Amino acid sequence: MENVMKQVAIALAVILISGTALAQGRGGRGGGGGGRAAAAPAPEEGFPVTDPLVVQKCGTCHTKDDKGNLSRISWTRTTPEGWEEAIKRMIRLNGLTITPAEAKSVLKYLSTNHGLAPEEAKPVMYMPEHRIIDEVIPNDAVRATCTNCHALGRPFSWHRTREEWQLMTTLHSALYQQAESAFRGGRNAGGGGAAAAAPASGSEGAAPAAATPVLDQTLDYLGKNYGLHTPEWASWRARMRAPKITGRWLVSAHVLGKGKYYGELTIGQGVAEDEFTTTVKLTPVGGGPAISRTGTGLVYAGYSWRGRSKGTTAVAKDTPDDLATEMREAIWISPDQSSGEGRWFWGEYQEFGIDVKIVRATPEPLLYMTDKYSLKAGSQAQRVKVYGNSLPATLTAADLEFGAGVKVKTIVSHTATEIVADVDVAATAVPGKRDVTLGRAVLLGGLAIYDKVDYIKVLPEASMARLGSDVHPKGYQQLEVMAYQKGEDSKMHTADDIELGPVDVAWSVEEFYTVLGDDDREFVGSMSGTGLFTPNVDGPNPQRKFSRNNYGEVWAVATAKNEKDKDGKPLIGKSYLVVTVPTYIRWDQPEVTK
Amino acid sequence: MKHLRAVNKKARRVDSYVASLGEDVIALQNGGGNNQQPAQRPHVPMGCALAFSPGWEVDSAGGTAGLCQPVERDIYDCYVTCFWPAQVPDHLNNYPDWASKCAAATKDWRNLDLVFP
Repeated sequence: MENVMKQVAIALAVILISGTALAQGRGGRGGGGGGRAAAAPAPEEGFPVTDPLVVQKCGTCHTKDDKGNLSRISWTRTTPEGWEEAIKRMIRLNGLTITPAEAKSVLKYLSTNHGLAPEEAKPVMYMPEHRIIDEVIPNDAVRATCTNCHALGRPFSWHRTREEWQLMTTLHSALYQQAESAFRGGRNAGGGGAAAAAPASGSEGAAPAAATPVLDQTLDYLGKNYGLHTPEWASWRARMRAPKITGRWLVSAHVLGKGKYYGELTIGQGVAEDEFTTTVKLTPVGGGPAISRTGTGLVYAGYSWRGRSKGTTAVAKDTPDDLATEMREAIWISPDQSSGEGRWFWGEYQEFGIDVKIVRATPEPLLYMTDKYSLKAGSQAQRVKVYGNSLPATLTAADLEFGAGVKVKTIVSHTATEIVADVDVAATAVPGKRDVTLGRAVLLGGLAIYDKVDYIKVLPEASMARLGSDVHPKGYQQLEVMAYQKGEDSKMHTADDIELGPVDVAWSVEEFYTVLGDDDREFVGSMSGTGLFTPNVDGPNPQRKFSRNNYGEVWAVATAKNEKDKDGKPLIGKSYLVVTVPTYIRWDQPEVTK
Repeated sequence: MKHLRAVNKKARRVDSYVASLGEDVIALQNGGGNNQQPAQRPHVPMGCALAFSPGWEVDSAGGTAGLCQPVERDIYDCYVTCFWPAQVPDHLNNYPDWASKCAAATKDWRNLDLVFP
C-alpha cells in the first residue's frame, strides 16, 4: 500500500515540479521585458545582481537578462534568514553546490543588496529574534492562505512583485499539497473566521471553486503591501552606509524571570568592514555576580546585527537558563547608528532570551536606565540608582529630577556612570511614568509612581513548553510576574495601566479544565520557585489513557506574597500554559550569525 | 459542599466537573472589570498551524485534548501526506529518508531526527 502511495506521490511531484519549472521560466521572461499577456501591465524593473560569485553560483539556473537581472532573485527582497533558508533549499532540492565560505559571501551580498529597509524589517524583527507574539492577521484571506501552516512573520519578511508572490505560491503547491487545498478552496478555505483559535469555516472536501478568490485576494494584498518597490527601500538603497559601530555602547537588558541588568558593550573591528568582535559585561541591578561575555557579529544591509557570544565562565550543569550559555543575537541598529534593540536568545526553541537595548556612549552626559521600576506615593528615603555615561563630576540633589512630587533628598554617591540618590515621594504625587532628567540628559519613562498595586499579571500571557528528552530536547518556559496599577480609565487590563515591576510571588500549576479527569497537572512537568517551567519527557506514556503523551494545558499561577486585593486576599495572576509535543522541523537559520 | 468528600471515581468526576464550572463563573464575572483575572481563553500560539485535523501542537480549541493520543500515531500521516509541513518533515520532496530509521513511530520515535530546513 505504501509503495503504491509512494509511486503516486512521486508521479504527482514530477507533474507539479514541471509546473514550477515552467513558472520559473516565465518569471525570468517577465523580468526581462517579455509580456505575459497582451493586456498585462509592463513588468516591474528588477534589481540587477552585480556580484560575480552570486552570478556564478545562481546564474546557471537563474537566467540573466540584458539588464543584469537574475530570474526570480532580482524581483525578491528579504532578511538574512530568508536568504539563508532559500540557499539551503537550493542545496537540498536543486543541486546547488557551494562551500560555507561562498555561501557566507552570497548571503551577505543578497541580504544587503536585496534586503529590507530598516523600517520594513522592524515590524518583523520578532522572527529573527525568535519571539512568540500574538500576530495581527490583516484579513481572512491572508489567514487562510498563509497562517494555515506558519507564522505570518515568515511571508511578511519578504518583499516581491505580485507575479513573484504568485510564483512562490506555485512553488508551495508543488512542494506541499496541503498548501494547494489552502489556496484553492478545499479544506479550510475562506479563512479561520474572526477568532484566531476558531476552526476554519470551509466545508471539508468541498470542490475547488472555479475562481481562486482567496488566493487572489492574498496575492493582491501581498503585492500591494509587500511589493518589491517601496519608498522605504528606494530611500535606504541610497542612504545605506557601512556600519561604523566600533567603540563603547551602554546596555540596558531585561532577562525574563531574572529582572534588569545594566552594563557595557565594546564593539571592535573584525576581519571585514561589516564584521565585529564584542565584549560585554552585564550586572544585575538587584545585586549578584556580573556576567562577562565575548563574541562576534556581522551587520547586514547597514543595520541588521546578527551575532553570537558566550560567557567567560563555564555553564553550570542542569541549568538551562544559565546566562553563560552560548547565545545568538539579533539587533536592529537604528539608521543613524546611535542605538539599537533586539534579543539575545538560546535554548532548543530559543525560548530563553534577554531583551537588549543599546545606546552609543557619547561625550555628553547620558542616562539609560534606573534600577527600580516604580516607587510608591508617600514613601520616604527610597534609594534609586540611575545609570548613565559621562555624568558630571560635580552634582547636587537639585540637578537630578523625577518630575513633580518626587524630591531628591540626597545624592548618596555618584561616578561618571552611576548616581545613587535617596528620594522622597509625596503622597499626592500623580501616578504614572516619569522622565528622569539630569540637565539636558533625559531618560524617558524611567520610573513610575503608583499608589496601589491593583493586579498582577503572569507573562507571557499565553505560553508554550514542549516535552522532550535527550534525543528531542525539552522546550522550557520561563514565566515572570508584573504588577500594575489601573490607569486613568479605572479599568484593569487596558493599555493605560502603569507597569510597576515584578513582586515577590509563590509559583504553582493548576489544572485547566478541558477534559475532565485527565489530570494534566500530574503529567505535564514541574514549576520551580523562580517561575521556570520544566516539561516532562516526550513519547507515549503508558500510564495515561490511550498512552497519551504527557501533553496538556494548565494554568501557571503566581500568588503574591505581600500584595492583597480589596477583600484582603493575596493577588493572583494566571497564565495559560500549553505543554505540547516537539516539532521535528526547526525553522531556524543559525548560519546567519557566523 | 465542604463537608462532603468524594470517595469513589464517579464522585471525583463530579468534583472536577464542579471545579471546571467554577472557572466559567470566574469568566462570567470578568465583564464587571473588578476582579483580578480577565477571562483568558486557550489560544493558538504563533507559528502553530491553523489547519486543524486534529492539529499538531494544539487542536482547534487551542489545547491538546483533541490531538492524536499519542501523537506518534499521527506522525506518518503527517509525514507521508505532508499534512503538517511546517511541524513535521514531508516525505514527498524535502526529506524522503526522514523515517527510514523508524519502522513504528509509537515504538521507535526516539530514532526520528530533527531537521533544519
